[in-house]
Amino acid sequence: MTSGVIEIEGLRKTFHSLRRGRRVAVDGFDLLVEAGQVHGFLGPNGSGKTTTLRALLGLVRADDGRMRVLGAAAPEQLPQVAGRVGAIVESPQFYGNFTGYRTLRLLALAGGVPVSRVDEVLEQVGLADRGDERVKGYSLGMKQRLAVASALLKRPELLILDEPANGLDPAGIREMRDLVRALAANGVTVLVSSHILAEIQLICDHVTIISRGRRVTAGPVTEVLAGFDHNEHLVRVDDPARAEELLLAAGLTVTGHADHLVVSGVPDPTEVSRTLGEQGVWVRELTPLRPDLESVFLELTGAPAHPGVPRQVDGSTPAGGPAADQEIDLGVRGVDA
Amino acid sequence: MNLIRAELERLGARRFVQLMIVLLMLAFGVTAATTLAGSHQPSAVELAEAQRQAAANLRGMELEHERCLARDRGEPLPGDEGFYLPPDCSELDPALRDRLPVAADYLTGVFTFTRQAEPLLYFLVAYLVLFGFLVGASYIGADLNSGGVVNLLLWRPRRLTVLGAKLGTLLGAVLTVSVLASLAYLVTFWVIAQVAGYPGPTNAAFWADLGAIWGRGLTLVLLAAATGFAIATMGRHTAAALGAVAAYLVVWELGGRIVLQILEVARPDQLMLASYVGAWLAGEVRFWDSTACRTVVDSYCDGSYTLTWQPALAVLLLLTAGLSASAFAIFRRRDLI
Ligand SMILES: Nc1ncnc2c1ncn2[C@@H]1O[C@H](COP(=O)(O)OP(=O)(O)OP(=O)(O)O)[C@@H](O)[C@H]1O
Ligand SMILES: [Mg+2]
Repeated sequence: MTSGVIEIEGLRKTFHSLRRGRRVAVDGFDLLVEAGQVHGFLGPNGSGKTTTLRALLGLVRADDGRMRVLGAAAPEQLPQVAGRVGAIVESPQFYGNFTGYRTLRLLALAGGVPVSRVDEVLEQVGLADRGDERVKGYSLGMKQRLAVASALLKRPELLILDEPANGLDPAGIREMRDLVRALAANGVTVLVSSHILAEIQLICDHVTIISRGRRVTAGPVTEVLAGFDHNEHLVRVDDPARAEELLLAAGLTVTGHADHLVVSGVPDPTEVSRTLGEQGVWVRELTPLRPDLESVFLELTGAPAHPGVPRQVDGSTPAGGPAADQEIDLGVRGVDA
Repeated sequence: MNLIRAELERLGARRFVQLMIVLLMLAFGVTAATTLAGSHQPSAVELAEAQRQAAANLRGMELEHERCLARDRGEPLPGDEGFYLPPDCSELDPALRDRLPVAADYLTGVFTFTRQAEPLLYFLVAYLVLFGFLVGASYIGADLNSGGVVNLLLWRPRRLTVLGAKLGTLLGAVLTVSVLASLAYLVTFWVIAQVAGYPGPTNAAFWADLGAIWGRGLTLVLLAAATGFAIATMGRHTAAALGAVAAYLVVWELGGRIVLQILEVARPDQLMLASYVGAWLAGEVRFWDSTACRTVVDSYCDGSYTLTWQPALAVLLLLTAGLSASAFAIFRRRDLI
């Protein structure tokens, strides 16, 4: 048996509605999250992340596919492991007339968790002082914190967070990051979906990217990024035109920009500075352009095809790579901080 | 067990339930107060006078019966001539009457328990039926809508258990409230009769009758609660239950009745749910079928028929069980979003 904490193979889900007909939400999706990972789950709007998580948690019925959570077949054997899985799925709603404390207490009661845990988690998500207020008086971020608190209540081994940062302020996002890191340090496996890619890059060690209901890439963050590293370097000189000539003459691939050049396919930047320096063109700046998750994400799922034309939610690139007409300018976005 | 405790707390904390109970107490208080204000304890003289009137009335009935029997025997009629006497003297036999005149019938401005208890109880049952239905529908409707069910299912991924616990809690709570309310209600009016009115001849038969109405009323309340719960579950919304009932009443009980009349369908009342509710509550209900005597020209024709409580109960139980079973079946498979 593998150490998969979450194993999904060939998940398919089609929604049927009388008016709009069929809508394929998840189309043969695979996901493997192993114990101890902090796994980022990325995808454009409407790509099927939430649907996948709902199917995994038994909230929607999958049409096809095999799913296991902590070794139990989902959704049939979910009851056996539910006590070890904490989850929030797409901004959970709470009954507005209850206080935060009571909301959690009722869940603890129903789930057989000691009620003393409620104060602990409220403290943990920063709601300790506001727990006795009605949920309908909470702000978006406070509701989100309450949701996270509800997921933490049972001291889960596996934490599934669907857009936990939704509505959080910068401090809240940082707290969320610290929280996830602390949990991970305690051996909790975390699957987190988010659109804040910089955040994912900071906290996750593995990612899976979904587009149009299919997995387009998966693996350790470093490997995924390395796979998109085209060995590009940004070069600034006083005379870009001459530098471009020299570099082209040296057989390098160069793209000219207004105030800089991008040289690709050079594993070793010394080659660039030597080529230019030998001809008396002195390099003012030479920066490796490493792809970040955002550039990889956009390359995989399709960036805006034409400036000024809003991309539609289902306009993501089908699985298998970027569309031919979409050129991605890794250069500017990819500058390492 | 914990699940039920949590559900009970959730139910009790609902604003709507609290409002309905306050309204119940308000209606109860107003009825009791006006009754108390408009009633006085009959004096010995009033009572003696009322008893005398009742006795006189009874004697009058006996006299008439005797005159009728005398006519049948061919004897000269005692007393006044010219009174109409029916062909069948048993129609006049006081011993065969449903109820004989009692002193309470001749007391004015006096609250008489034996005379008023029944309509008062019917009023309470009507309120409790409404209470049960609305609470049943809004309890699950609001929970489905507010995401409470989804949250709970993340903790207890057994849909039938969760829904069953909710239905069970609802029925238990509604029954408890109904029993307590109706007991408090009857006891209050009993006390009012004792101190500021007239209890009336409370014999075993009276209590048995009242007890039967009470039991049947409470059963109806439970059926209404389950029906509201089931329809709201199927429609995912409190309003679904209200809409379904309103639509049924308008389309079938009103519109359907007119159409059935135009089509001259025999015994249209047999097809109306309201008839069965009435028959169950009252023990039996007589209906007049206008189509039955159409072909009978001059001989005597009795177009009436009765609905008794046994088939009425069967119909109501089947309906509620059917709706509940469908609700569970649908809920088991449904995508919860
Ligand atoms: N209940 C539903 N009925 C019909 N279609 C649905 C339903 N839920 C989701 N979908 C469709 O399934 C697709 C995937 O939706 P899903 O919510 O899984 O996306 P997502 O990846 O979570 O997006 P986001 O990033 O916006 O949260 C979308 O096209 C959506 O319209
Ligand atoms: Mg989503």
